[in-house]
Amino acid sequence: MTIDLEVLAAVVRLLKEAEFSEFRYAKGDVSFVVRRGDVSEGPTPPPSTIAPAPAPVAAPVSPSAPVVETDGAKVRAPLLGTFYSRPKPGEAVFVKIGDRVEPDTVVCIVEVMKLMNSVSAGVRGVVAAIHARDGDLVEFGQALFTVVEAA
Amino acid sequence: MTARRIYVANRGEIALRIVEACERLGYETVLGVSAADRETLAARRATRTVVLGAARSQESYLNQQAVIHAAVSTGCDAVHPGYGFLSEKASFARACAENGLIFIGPTPEQLETLGDKLSARAFAQSVGVPVSPGGPTETLEQALALADRIGFPILVKAANGGGGRGMKLVNRAEDLAPAWQVASSEAAAAFGDGTVFLERFVAAAKHIEVQILGDSHGHCVHLGERECTLQFRYQKILEEAPSTALNAEDRLRLHAYALKIGKGLGYQGLGTVEFLYDVQTRDICFLEVNPRVQVEHPVTESVTGVDLVREQILVAFGAALSFRQEDIVLKGHAIELRLTAQDPAQGLRPSPGRLRRWRPAPLGGVRVDSHLYEGYLFPPYYDALMAKLIVSGADRSAALALAVSALSRLEVEGPATNRDLLVKLVNHPDVAANSITTRWLEEKFDEGSLP
Repeated sequence: MTIDLEVLAAVVRLLKEAEFSEFRYAKGDVSFVVRRGDVSEGPTPPPSTIAPAPAPVAAPVSPSAPVVETDGAKVRAPLLGTFYSRPKPGEAVFVKIGDRVEPDTVVCIVEVMKLMNSVSAGVRGVVAAIHARDGDLVEFGQALFTVVEAA
Repeated sequence: MTARRIYVANRGEIALRIVEACERLGYETVLGVSAADRETLAARRATRTVVLGAARSQESYLNQQAVIHAAVSTGCDAVHPGYGFLSEKASFARACAENGLIFIGPTPEQLETLGDKLSARAFAQSVGVPVSPGGPTETLEQALALADRIGFPILVKAANGGGGRGMKLVNRAEDLAPAWQVASSEAAAAFGDGTVFLERFVAAAKHIEVQILGDSHGHCVHLGERECTLQFRYQKILEEAPSTALNAEDRLRLHAYALKIGKGLGYQGLGTVEFLYDVQTRDICFLEVNPRVQVEHPVTESVTGVDLVREQILVAFGAALSFRQEDIVLKGHAIELRLTAQDPAQGLRPSPGRLRRWRPAPLGGVRVDSHLYEGYLFPPYYDALMAKLIVSGADRSAALALAVSALSRLEVEGPATNRDLLVKLVNHPDVAANSITTRWLEEKFDEGSLP
């Protein structure tokens, strides 16, 4: 992987002024994620992270091992059904990116024929990615969340 | 014709057979698979594949909620249940209807009537079709009294069972009590009902069944009979059409009985009416109706030229039958051999594993219905059927000769198969003369002359 740290620093500087909480960039074999916000409960930057001052955290990652996308555990659908991120329409989501979860934390619902099945994280860590949207048909074994280790 | 999308609720060779029938009709297919079946041929061929659940059938193919959820949320119009799994479940057919899906099969009421051995027998009797001497028994005392009336040998089985499960042959009165007790507790455990069925066992019996097809406009035709006498513990191994055991008069009688059942029920869809034929007395006794496509349907397709799965799908969508009884003309003879991943040297023990080589011989007159390919991992979770070789010829001896060729030129390596047993069977003088009965192969195993 080649990534020009000057370019990355420029991107981070530009984003500093913008309204955003998470920025993902992918082109060719290069991808990176910049996240901002409440990191007090979130992950401390992984060792490879470049953190230009002050707040934004940039994690350049190679496609062969994108830190956010494949590192960490996947929470998978225990059965085929429809994915819901919140208990009821209009209510808050069970979890969002950056949230800390325990093994028994309910992270979503998979509905099968009007039967609501709560899905627990099964691992301890921080939600790094959400792979399904409300109303999606999710299949047995499909990855729903990526949870990374909290340092 | 409007575009249709069919959900295929099965696996293995029949899932592929259904996907292909839909392709030829211009219909899309959605196949629901278990986690162990992601790499099957049908999964590659279906328009879309979704993973239902874990490898175990209860969590995937038998999980009615998951199947219906998958069919509805992928926008399917209809569900084809194949054979086995959910194909005979009235509750599933009903759930399909409640969710706006067409169940490709008979009505839930017809499934209920036929699903229970006692009500199916009662129905056959009510339309004048003979049944074997016997009946249900709830206590051992009833069983002993009934056995006294019908005489030994007697077949003992669960009233709600199917597929030969839990059947026992009792030759002497003193053996009835233990066999009845075991059958009753098995029936109670498996079906929640300890009722045991006693039936007179016909020693020189032929298993002969009639293919029927009905539409929702009151038409019902038969497509001739199949003989499936060559069985091992009630599992069919070789099936053929037509039967050479019947004379012209008995054949007409048999077909008429099947149509009495089909027309009496107003049967909709594809079905098979099974009978036992006593070659000594020429008695024909009703056994049961299989309300679905059957494993051995290709032999009927071969001698009639009718694509049964296509017709089954069309009538389910409300079409009237496109042919009448007199349009069905039988031609030649066809034999199906079931190649299974079972080791004849180990009492036909299942033998799953990775298929290293799979090369059916390209021979004229041979049809191969199979989901196998080289490199396929034959899973241990489901039934052992690997392929059906369907050979056809001008007459039975020509078909048997072609079967010998097809089997001996088949290249298969990996799991142990019953191929060598099939070769011995098609070369056996008793099979050539069709002098066998339903118990013939078990007797040969017992006396050690086969495999």
